[in-house]
Amino acid sequence: MNRDEIERRIHGVFEDAFEIEPERLTPEAKVFEDLGLDSLDIVDLIVALQKQFGVQIREDERVRAIRTLADIADFIETLMQEEDARRSGS
Amino acid sequence: MRRVVITGAGAVSPLGVGVPALVGGVEAGRGATRRMESWDGFKGLRSRVAALAPLENERAIPRRYRRTMGRMSLFAYQAAVEAMAEAGLGSADTASGRMGCAVGSTMGSAISLNRAFEAMIPNRDLSELSSTLFFQCVSHTAAMNVGQALGLGGCVFAPSAACASALQAIGLGFDLVRSGRQDVMLCGGAEEVHATVTGSFDLLYAASTRYNDAPERTPRPFDADRDGLVCGEGSGILVLESLDRARRRGAPILAEVLGFHTCGGGDHVSESNRKAMADCMRGALADAGLDAGRVDAINAHATATLQGDGEEVAAIREVFGGAVPTSSLKGHLTHTLGASAALELIVALAGMRRGRVYPTRNLERVAPECEGILHVRDAPAPVDIRVLAKNSFAFGGICAVLLCGRTEETPAEARTA
Repeated sequence: MNRDEIERRIHGVFEDAFEIEPERLTPEAKVFEDLGLDSLDIVDLIVALQKQFGVQIREDERVRAIRTLADIADFIETLMQEEDARRSGS
Repeated sequence: MRRVVITGAGAVSPLGVGVPALVGGVEAGRGATRRMESWDGFKGLRSRVAALAPLENERAIPRRYRRTMGRMSLFAYQAAVEAMAEAGLGSADTASGRMGCAVGSTMGSAISLNRAFEAMIPNRDLSELSSTLFFQCVSHTAAMNVGQALGLGGCVFAPSAACASALQAIGLGFDLVRSGRQDVMLCGGAEEVHATVTGSFDLLYAASTRYNDAPERTPRPFDADRDGLVCGEGSGILVLESLDRARRRGAPILAEVLGFHTCGGGDHVSESNRKAMADCMRGALADAGLDAGRVDAINAHATATLQGDGEEVAAIREVFGGAVPTSSLKGHLTHTLGASAALELIVALAGMRRGRVYPTRNLERVAPECEGILHVRDAPAPVDIRVLAKNSFAFGGICAVLLCGRTEETPAEARTA
């Protein structure tokens, strides 16, 4: 999955689950301050990302460092690279 | 004790969105029962009829509030907004700490509860549960969501007494306002249709099963051919406020709350008990300081179950005699359970202001065990109602009775024939 596809799917989550207009979904947009998500939404964001990308992130400490949409895309990209490496190594 | 009046009403019901649709539907003699095709896949469910309320424009509710609302809470919020608008209440009132709500329901959102179980149980897996689903499932979901979305700083209560929830909520609001603990209370109930809800009555042989192919003919309160209740959904909310405050504000005074009582039967968990019902009626009269002879009309609970209707008739006969015009609105609205008493009270009070008692729909031949009271059938009966009694009964032997009347300010509405 390339970066564009990752970003497209993340935007889809924000549009569908959190009803955020597409024009507000810029890479530097901050999830809490700019997009208005709160603590409850973050739980649902994690569930939606896990479903969308087939990854397990609920217990991943790196989730706490996420601030912006670009951070989410970076994190997902890293997870998928790790998954690819794990598969090719096995 | 302060005098308490009703200054606003809101409704989402099987007859439509808003109080005009509710009252207009009853005026037109409409019934709301329909066949539930989607229930055909449920094994063991014999009753295939229900009454759905329209859910409209819910996206207008900000997502921040909407995300924790199951279907019943969406109804309750919309009804509360309508009631507040009629009463002329705004953010200065809601934030004062002197305004609260009491909104009851049988349980949390049945649809959300089933969704949660369907997600969790097959694989014993919690990982796909939404954070907001829990708030749709809790027993105080309707009250909590109304309180949150309206910014209510006063008391927030969720009386849960199945079919008597709304009348207990109204009675609680009455006590809170007359005692001075609160100045304004949004009171009522909410409910939603689901196969598992109807199924709980069907299991007990209390749901209508013989009219699946003729849904407009059921439920049939007091009728010889009644065969059980039909579940419905929606929400009714009334604004209860001290008379002094309502007068100061120039608010519309739809009725005065005169008395209330609720009591347990303590005899059987599902069988109605005429003695407890009669005791409750006497308790409400005593609370209001009125003799039974002062009651001009009775809005019955009568759900069209074989046992319950007869017991209620016996209690009415014992306390009020056989000459007080009486009807049940379940034939129009079905049994909206935790919302029923609020929706029915809204209609009955509209009837009071118009000088009429609405008839029991589908009452064609009074059952022998339901004789001995003055049934209003076929068409509205012209009655000068100064005092109205509203009954509400529930599983668990719960009884509730409310008495309302007019004040000098209560408007006489157009008597459209």
